Amino acid sequence: MNASDVARNPHFFAELIEEGRKIPAFFRRDFLTLWSYRLAFFSDWANLAIQVLLFTLIGSIVDPDVVPSYGGRQVGYVEFVAVGIAVMAFVQVALTRMVSAIRREQMIGTLEAVLATPIRPFTFQLGSVMFDLVYVPLRTALFLVLSSVFLAIELHPTSWPAALLVLMVFIPFVWGLGEISAAATLTYRQGAGFVGLALTGMTIFSEGYFPVAVFPDWIRRFAELNPLTAVMNGVREALLGGAGTGDLLETVLYVAPFSIVSLVVGSTAFGMALRRERKKGTLGQY
Amino acid sequence: MDEGPCRNSRFSLNVVIAMDGYGDFESAVLRVAGVSRSFGPKLVLDGIDLEVPAGTIHAVLGPNGAGKTTLLRIIAGTADPSAGVVTVAGDSARPGKDREQRRRIGLVPAQSQSFYMRLSGYENLLFFGRLQGLGKKRAVRRAHDSLAEVGLADAADMRAGLYSTGMLRRLTIARAVLVEPPVLLVDEATMGLDPEGARSVRDMFVDIARRGAAIVWTTQRIDEIRAFADRVTLIHEGRVRFAGSVPELIALATPRHYVVQLSNGSSRSQEILEMGRRAVVRFGELTAARGGGDGHFLLALDPDTVLGDALNELTAAGCGVISVREDRSGIEEAFLALIDRASHER
Repeated sequence: MNASDVARNPHFFAELIEEGRKIPAFFRRDFLTLWSYRLAFFSDWANLAIQVLLFTLIGSIVDPDVVPSYGGRQVGYVEFVAVGIAVMAFVQVALTRMVSAIRREQMIGTLEAVLATPIRPFTFQLGSVMFDLVYVPLRTALFLVLSSVFLAIELHPTSWPAALLVLMVFIPFVWGLGEISAAATLTYRQGAGFVGLALTGMTIFSEGYFPVAVFPDWIRRFAELNPLTAVMNGVREALLGGAGTGDLLETVLYVAPFSIVSLVVGSTAFGMALRRERKKGTLGQY
Repeated sequence: MDEGPCRNSRFSLNVVIAMDGYGDFESAVLRVAGVSRSFGPKLVLDGIDLEVPAGTIHAVLGPNGAGKTTLLRIIAGTADPSAGVVTVAGDSARPGKDREQRRRIGLVPAQSQSFYMRLSGYENLLFFGRLQGLGKKRAVRRAHDSLAEVGLADAADMRAGLYSTGMLRRLTIARAVLVEPPVLLVDEATMGLDPEGARSVRDMFVDIARRGAAIVWTTQRIDEIRAFADRVTLIHEGRVRFAGSVPELIALATPRHYVVQLSNGSSRSQEILEMGRRAVVRFGELTAARGGGDGHFLLALDPDTVLGDALNELTAAGCGVISVREDRSGIEEAFLALIDRASHER
């Protein structure tokens, strides 16, 4: 959906509202599906607690000197990695959930039935990840709260809006990558390899779990260009160093062009993949 | 959903249907004109024409691989044609590109596994109703109504994964009629169902057609279109081999194969067979029916011969004719004759 859509279609806003009303249906579907697997649901929360414990143990063997300082404050590895995990959760949602949703719909045979309804591709994509977009931040927030309570992590509550701003600018970037992955899944059926590669690359070449100080030089150069590294630093500066929105303007301006390019390329790729499948008549095949 | 006044008079093309739910359309609701489709060098559909008025059931008949499902996909907009036009309610916008068109078409796919099996039948319908653009209250009401319509009201809260094949089939029908679209595309709806289940499904569609929907019904089960479909188009190897009414299709068939039961007082079938063979040699061929030890034989008549003459000859030769029946139904004869003719044309 863009400006030319609005100009071409006099009912654009009415359609926008109609499409928006479909999103809760996806949310309800995904919640009920998750709830139907109650063991997996509770295991996920147990896993979260174990993750906190695991990184506490790893933190005890990491040299504190390799961990950067934020807002002039030297932070510990556990603080460093807790924020990394929280941000990576967003990346994983955008990258893996859209692909797995499309793949699942292909496998169980509902993709053709869904796309035979009057739904826009964007609504389908957004609807497919909506539950996770709500659930994962809740899960992440709980992770951070648990971490701050049990691991004595000091977070700056007043800087949450600044961290959120950086994430909001970053979401279109991973969304675009997710669309490219979804396009690959539609076209080649198995998009998981591409997603895994992208996710591994982004994880390694960023400061998600390890400070850039521990990387070899050639990886460090990649890591410094990676928009995810900028986002990680921005969120840590906010949550651990107390930086405000004004302090993070440089990060926002650095990430924004990546986001725009990724979103445009991703939307185009997904639209092309969908048209190709319709043309070939293989939309429901897997 | 109110019951419509009546089903169209059969084969009437220029009627106006004014009914609650399934819309108000003149003449043919669905028109398919010159639709072709290739997959690489293979031509799967070649210049298909269809015209389906409101309130009628149009059977698309053909053997496996005839191109029936591809045709439905093109009409539904999940596949593009290489050439030709599909018009729904006078609008030739492609359903794949036009959301309004997709609203006018209900699809009952061949496979029943097109639901979220962890959700109940009701939740599945609620979800698809919302995707169709229904508001929450209306989606809830239509989900309940549709389930009741297909006899699944008692199983509404049961997980779809626990439904039997027949129940899943009925759920696909309930989904297709959620928004009461003017066109319903039904792909092999009775596949895998027992005769009673198949009859029940056909009855549902007769009822839906009675309320004004134009139904395209693909099948390879030729026995089920008799007394069910208003029109039939027979497709073989992507081309229309016949288009007309079911009686017209049957009229094409001259039955040539019969099962006859003969007796001459002798207990030996082989003797009767030899006598019979000699008697009908000018009319065709008499062979032993499989497992026909009790005097049953197959009589295959040559073209331009008359059954009565052959039976007279058998009687005159001392073979008493106890019973005669067609080995195949007339409609099956017609189907096979058309397929056979198409194969010889190649």
